[in-house]
Amino acid sequence: MKKIYLVLIVFSFVLTGCDFDKGFEEMNVDPTKAAQLDVNNKFASVFLRTSGGRYENWRASLIYSSQIVQHMSSTATYWTGNFYTLNQGYSTSLFDRGYPEQVKEIEDIIYQLTEEGVSDTQMGVARIWRAFIYHRLTDLHGDIPYSEAGKGFIEGILKPAYDPQEAIYMDMLAEIEGGIAQLGANTLGGSDLIFQGDVDKWRKFGNSLMLRLAMRLTKADAATAQAWAQKAISGGTMASNDDIAYIQHTNGPAGINRNGHGEVFDADGNMRISKTFMEFLQNGNDPRLPILAARRSDGSTTAADLFGMPNGLTGGALEAKYGTESSYYAEPNRAVLGGFDAPMVFQTYAEVEFLKAEAAQRGWHTGSVETHYNNGVKAAMQMLSSLYPNAAAISDAQVSDYLAANPLNTSSPMEMIHTQYWAATFLNEYEAFANWRRTGFPTLQPFGGEAVYPGNETNGEIPRRMIYPNSEESTNPENYAAAVSRQGPNTLTTRVWWDK
Amino acid sequence: MNFNKNINLLLVLLLLVSGFTFAQQAISGLVTDEAGVPLPGATVVVDQTNDGTTTDFDGNYSISASDGQSISISFVGYETLSIVVGDGADYNVSLQPDSLLDEVVVTALGIERNTKALGYSVTQVGGEEINEIKSTNAINALQGKIAGVQISGNAAGAKGSTRVIIRGNSSLSGNNMPLYVVDGIPIDNTNLGSAGVWGGADAGDGISALNPDEIESVSVLKGGAAAALYGSRASNGVILITTKKGTGVEGIQVEVTSSVQFDDIKNDPYDPQTTYGQGRDYSTNSDTVDTYANWGIPLNGSSVEQWDGVSRPYSYKGNNLEKFYSGGETYINTVAVSSSSQTGNVRMSYSNLQNKDIIPNSTLDRNTFGINANQKIGKFSADVNLKYINDDAIGAPRLSDSPGNANYGIRLFAPSIDVNDMLGAGGLGTNEDGTEFRTSDNTFSQNPWFAAWQYFDNSVKERVIGSASVRWDITDFLYAKGRFGIDRYDFGRTSGTPYGTAYQPLGSMSESKLTRQQRDADLFLGTDNLKIVDDLSVTAFVGVNQNYVNSESVSASGSQFIVPFLYNVKNTQNQGNGYGFNERQINSVYGSAEIGYKDAIFLNVTARNDWFSTLSLAGKEAPNDDLYTSASLSVVLSDLLELPEVISFAKLRAGYSQVAGGAGNPYRLNLTYSIVDQGHQGASLGRISNGSIPNSEITPFEKNETEIGLDLRLFDNRFSVDFTYYDNQTDGDIVGVSASPTSGYGSALANLGVITNEGVELLINANAVRSDDFDLNFTFNYANNTSEIVSTNDAGTNLSLDEPRSRNLRVTHIVGEQYGALFGTSYNRDSQGRIIHDIEADGTPIPQVGPRKILGFGVSPVSLGFGSNMRYKNLSLSFLIEGKNGGQMFSGTNALAKYFGAHKATIDADGRENGFTVSGVDANGSAFTTTIAPDRIEDYWRRTYQIAEEAIYDSNYLRLRQVSLGYRIPGDVLENTFISSARVSLIGRNLFLLSNSVENVDPESGYNVSNSQGLEWFGMPVPRSLGLNVNLKF
Repeated sequence: MKKIYLVLIVFSFVLTGCDFDKGFEEMNVDPTKAAQLDVNNKFASVFLRTSGGRYENWRASLIYSSQIVQHMSSTATYWTGNFYTLNQGYSTSLFDRGYPEQVKEIEDIIYQLTEEGVSDTQMGVARIWRAFIYHRLTDLHGDIPYSEAGKGFIEGILKPAYDPQEAIYMDMLAEIEGGIAQLGANTLGGSDLIFQGDVDKWRKFGNSLMLRLAMRLTKADAATAQAWAQKAISGGTMASNDDIAYIQHTNGPAGINRNGHGEVFDADGNMRISKTFMEFLQNGNDPRLPILAARRSDGSTTAADLFGMPNGLTGGALEAKYGTESSYYAEPNRAVLGGFDAPMVFQTYAEVEFLKAEAAQRGWHTGSVETHYNNGVKAAMQMLSSLYPNAAAISDAQVSDYLAANPLNTSSPMEMIHTQYWAATFLNEYEAFANWRRTGFPTLQPFGGEAVYPGNETNGEIPRRMIYPNSEESTNPENYAAAVSRQGPNTLTTRVWWDK
Repeated sequence: MNFNKNINLLLVLLLLVSGFTFAQQAISGLVTDEAGVPLPGATVVVDQTNDGTTTDFDGNYSISASDGQSISISFVGYETLSIVVGDGADYNVSLQPDSLLDEVVVTALGIERNTKALGYSVTQVGGEEINEIKSTNAINALQGKIAGVQISGNAAGAKGSTRVIIRGNSSLSGNNMPLYVVDGIPIDNTNLGSAGVWGGADAGDGISALNPDEIESVSVLKGGAAAALYGSRASNGVILITTKKGTGVEGIQVEVTSSVQFDDIKNDPYDPQTTYGQGRDYSTNSDTVDTYANWGIPLNGSSVEQWDGVSRPYSYKGNNLEKFYSGGETYINTVAVSSSSQTGNVRMSYSNLQNKDIIPNSTLDRNTFGINANQKIGKFSADVNLKYINDDAIGAPRLSDSPGNANYGIRLFAPSIDVNDMLGAGGLGTNEDGTEFRTSDNTFSQNPWFAAWQYFDNSVKERVIGSASVRWDITDFLYAKGRFGIDRYDFGRTSGTPYGTAYQPLGSMSESKLTRQQRDADLFLGTDNLKIVDDLSVTAFVGVNQNYVNSESVSASGSQFIVPFLYNVKNTQNQGNGYGFNERQINSVYGSAEIGYKDAIFLNVTARNDWFSTLSLAGKEAPNDDLYTSASLSVVLSDLLELPEVISFAKLRAGYSQVAGGAGNPYRLNLTYSIVDQGHQGASLGRISNGSIPNSEITPFEKNETEIGLDLRLFDNRFSVDFTYYDNQTDGDIVGVSASPTSGYGSALANLGVITNEGVELLINANAVRSDDFDLNFTFNYANNTSEIVSTNDAGTNLSLDEPRSRNLRVTHIVGEQYGALFGTSYNRDSQGRIIHDIEADGTPIPQVGPRKILGFGVSPVSLGFGSNMRYKNLSLSFLIEGKNGGQMFSGTNALAKYFGAHKATIDADGRENGFTVSGVDANGSAFTTTIAPDRIEDYWRRTYQIAEEAIYDSNYLRLRQVSLGYRIPGDVLENTFISSARVSLIGRNLFLLSNSVENVDPESGYNVSNSQGLEWFGMPVPRSLGLNVNLKF
């Protein structure tokens, strides 16, 4: 029996002597992760993610926006923007990627800066960039989660409310103003992928973005538009092509480093220059033509080889009507524009000049409508060679010739201003789509004037909005329902607040 | 026998045992039946030492035992007899027939128990059920054999994983699969990769590596009462696998098992239209080169320019499936050498499995070495067990989304398209320069040959499972046992998109290496059937356990090959790398006590406390451990009461159990950040790592289960019924509470899930004929499990799981509904249920896409099996019919077959020539019946692709799962040969779908084994297998 007692004593000693969770707290710390980062590490990431991946640049930008504004065309029926058909996932792709990538990260940056008591340049840049991220989302979708968005961890908000677009715009404008005021002597250093630490350029960009947002409101609330536009202009906007807000992409090493559009060019050969855009370039004898367009079949940029593809036609319909195959038409000149290392442009000096021309025309700004227009055209033409190394430079003389041949019609300048804005925002398709909806210029015919595509979702009208993701119905039902009941049906044709 | 001596020596060293003295003597005797006929193969065991042997052909045995020890002699169908060793005792015994078969099953911790003492349901399946009709994944052989155990393969081919669910799903989003324990050691069953919404391939699971020839028996512990002793890992039940030992062998025995199986796709239910050719808009003039478009005119034999510019007759080219999938082959050869002596035994085996799947360029080569050794030295006995498994898999087939999924085009090509025209000038789907020979202008529509031959996904898995245990019989009633086991594997995978692929012209690849190991150490102290007083006995033990798991992975990936076709990550333009590490540990204390009264009433109580590293965090307030208990009662009525003679045995059982679970993942309690990718122009990229909102206060869930059962045997045990009712509830399941992606996260962790399962299990056995020459047995099993999602989160909102590629449906947990609702877009209907259509300008009605609603449930509540075994002399025949009922499936194959017009539903009874007739209401509610013009039919069906309801099917089926016809070569034929036993059988698996409520695809064609069941999207056909199995013993 002694043996039994011994065994029992040893065993109970083993049991009682054990600390059964010894070392567990240390074991459950992930050795490959950090508890917090230097905020500058986060800025570079959020800039790149705002530029975006192939996913949303393919879908929301090229398949929908570029086709709707008739920059481009395609015979492939999955290019749904050309046929006004609905592919839910395509339509919601910026929303789907924007919140978990861009919004989540910028809200985290602002939370960290707030916690750390930082209130200078970093906070200023963060607030301006947050407004930039949200303005694209609300322009595409209308009412969106804004004040409660991206705060799943910070505030435990799992189902953010949708804010009315009007409130979002008022807040974004105020945030930009507040952000500009915080820009100081400090910089983001090497993390500033947009302006490489040049805080003055951030100030100009802030004001230029404020001007873009202000002018967006001309239909919905002209007085507010005027007040903010004047504030923006007096604050100092972009003054030359040196001030363009863009990210220089690189060919790798990872997908995130590449230009999302460039990845689409690599993966998809279906996009063509729209007949609408081609005719604009050809009719104006535009020196940008051989830079922007090249024949699909052989890459020729000779003017006589370049044809724009009519919109809204399938390959069969195209062949039946015009006797041509899709490779006959020009595509965006991939040798110039289509690289993985192409820049992604967020806002240009040319756009600012066109907006100022409009402001002047409205009497909100004292400058000359014509001067701003001419500056805009010149900047839009000459920025190409500064942005794209393979683009031939357009000389001052070429610009002068163009302007001489295409002078501003000063009695009703809006159409020309915004048609030029449209040309200048080629490959900034979200902006081209928004500005077209606001101004109605250039005048676009549904399907570029071709036959109504059977089975379209819009009753033949040009889409004016991207839809909300289906997932919001299940993951955020009350707020989703409130937004739909406030704004209108979740369709491609419901107009957002500033477009009403 | 030298080998055996060496093993003895080794074990002696291993145990470091020295200096034991005990007086043993060799005793021998003869075992006969009541009529004095010798009983060969009877088991003789020294109770105190567990030393054992079996009687030889003449009923003789010899064994070593000490004076005063008792020897139990048992034989199936006879009452066990116990004799005490003493001077001059007579060791010849005659056994009396038993009214009850004394069935022994393996239960928790590997303890063998008489079934009559169990207060819960355990089902044991003999190895012969698994050895004879083999599957590359051994566990698949259990399909339809055990009531309450649902086994579903997926459409991933021979290398695919298997989903096994016992008594319903108990966790909303965590692991629901059982714990696998092989020879006492829990093994890893991690699925190493599977297809999802965007495609992918099944990289296999842990259990598939076991060699079916080595399995002695499988015991399934279904309920919590049975599983409580394995702790939280066993919250979904336990499958105990015992591999073959060297016991019961005279001298040395060599066993050779050889099997060959041939697979074909004769049972694939795909039945597309073959009347209308490739084309769009009811013409042969395809506006785009879309070889999937089945919207052409009736096939008329005219010469039409096809996708590759070649003109061919516009006619039916035959079944592309039969041209593409070729015969699969599986060869399994096993050699085993066994030896046993009075004090030990050893079995060594080597097995080779070679499989060629039905899809081109997909093979599996598996080599398995195993050794099981047992040795007794006085009061110590030791078991050592080692398995080495090497899997070499080539070409895991891609499933679900299109790129690289060869199964896509094969089913969708219009009937005028011949897949054999697609081999290309370079062969195997390539152009002369090796790039993809494109068969469509949609870059995502892959040439199937190219997808199968040029995409690559190869893996090698090298695995060692080993255990050692030592038992020390301290006294005749008290023992101590220590056990250590390890399961460790290295898994290397090379996969990629080749150079020259249409949608990714420069290609990409990745290399990954994963090392994963799991260690288990147990120490326990127990009593063996300790008699307290005459009628009262106690079997009890207490123990401690430590379970530690870690995994470490490295990966390198690259895209854009520089030198074409050179598949090396260094040969890529853009390179990335990854490193992953995680570890977790559970420490436990447990105990069990079984009190037996009159050997007829048994009460068993258990308790266990688990501490989880995964729930530990500095400053955490909620506990990181959980204590849970179980109690079960077994009452053998037939031993207590005088029952009518017709009742040979009757037992009532009842059990209640708790078990904790769900805390399997580390590092989920706090927010962390990482530096990702490789920076941009010198700036590093940092971001939040968590995709789910962390929660520091989560605790394990607790599952409570009640079960009652009746075990009744009638007519001299020839008819038996085993019935179980159970009811379980999981509280505080760790769920990813669904969050709107606009919160920045996909979900948030919380202990908010509640789910119940309630069900019945019925097993009926009937021995219709029993005679020397002819035996006829029937078995029937049936289980019906009803699940209910009681809570998903604080707001009771839906919990979303996976979605199919059409993204119009999600597997969703909805409060008040069964597990895993198929929640997707529906037809928009008016109050009378009529479908509302948009009417196009030309009058074409297009159905409206209605709201998401519950369209079905992916898990079938009912599963059943019906089988029979017949034996006439040396000839035996068995079959098994297996089925499921009550579930639904979303079929992506049917959705796209309709989208592209391949589905017969897209054609009216009188063809498309006169259009397609549609009835419904328009947006104003006016009813109409109209005929859509032939060139607009496709627009109608393209819209239905957005309507998930159109692709929902009941997933009911009945399948002739297996048949075997065996012949045992009579002993007298073999008498003068060196062969001691020989058996040959013809075998068949998946012979027929007797019924199938799904159109065009096999009802078991899900593309992964995740919790999101009921999603199908261009999986591999489920093959029919026919083969031959030979077993020889020397």
